[in-house]
Amino acid sequence: MEPGGTRNSLSQLRRGAVEYCVLALLRGGERYGFELVRKLSEVDGLVTSEGTIYPLLTRLRRDELVTTFWRESENGPPRRYYQLTDGGREALAGFTEEWARFRDGVDGLLKQEGTR
Amino acid sequence: MTTVHTNKLVEDYLRRLEQAAAPLARARRAELVAEIREHIDDALLEAGAADEVAVRNVLERLGPPEEIVAAAGPVQRRAGRLELAAMIALAVPFVGWTVGVALVAASRTWHGREKVIGIVLGLMPALIGLLVLMAAGGGSESAVPGEPVPVGTSPEAHSESSNGLGPIELFVLLGSFLAGPLAAVYLGTRLRHPSRPSELVSA
Repeated sequence: MEPGGTRNSLSQLRRGAVEYCVLALLRGGERYGFELVRKLSEVDGLVTSEGTIYPLLTRLRRDELVTTFWRESENGPPRRYYQLTDGGREALAGFTEEWARFRDGVDGLLKQEGTR
Repeated sequence: MTTVHTNKLVEDYLRRLEQAAAPLARARRAELVAEIREHIDDALLEAGAADEVAVRNVLERLGPPEEIVAAAGPVQRRAGRLELAAMIALAVPFVGWTVGVALVAASRTWHGREKVIGIVLGLMPALIGLLVLMAAGGGSESAVPGEPVPVGTSPEAHSESSNGLGPIELFVLLGSFLAGPLAAVYLGTRLRHPSRPSELVSA
């Protein structure tokens, strides 16, 4: 596989996982866009371009995994807040289970390949 | 706090974003640009500075506008005014074909391969028709007029072919009138296929 291909498939993997990281961040309650982006970019290697989170949030809303509402802020214009829906909670639970299996499976193979 | 120079950096960035987001629906594009603008404001507020270094850092962390738009995933393409005009024009013989082809070429919604197929489909029969007519015109002036049409042996067919318009010529001519609408239909159905913005950029 060419180097570009590795980068591309990694970024696809990342994009898929970040969606659920957003849902996970919303488990504790509503957050606004900038807050979510900051939390995500604090995790090493998860988000390369912060701007890409915004289209993702739009998609989550369209898929009805989150809902949004506006709230006044102390300094500046009103902010759009994101909140988990029941569907989002379910999707997150499903992913959490799948992810553990996926991660263990991949880890197992990667390690095995090294010890041959 | 923001100087004219740093303001220009931000505005340039947002303009690039707006251009990259051209394939998105108008409402989504406006929303995306507004969100990114808000993000920049928030990030500068958080940084506690709005000098050139701070602005450049914020924009760098946001990433290239094209990448942001690509994260929107495949977008449902819609026919804009230009695309509608192109499809209508393609259905009108001669003048319409020319206008239609120019509009298809100018469109930012269809990408390279679709444009080529649409244009060839729209124009090829007309070109063939023209060639056939020219050949037939040349042929009737020379010695053998009735020869190339063995299909219809009825007297009408013979009288027609001696005028230079045999069944084949008529068929091709008719076909060339149908090809424009066909090209329009093809281009129209392609719009139903979602497309990644990155595809459009490279097209």
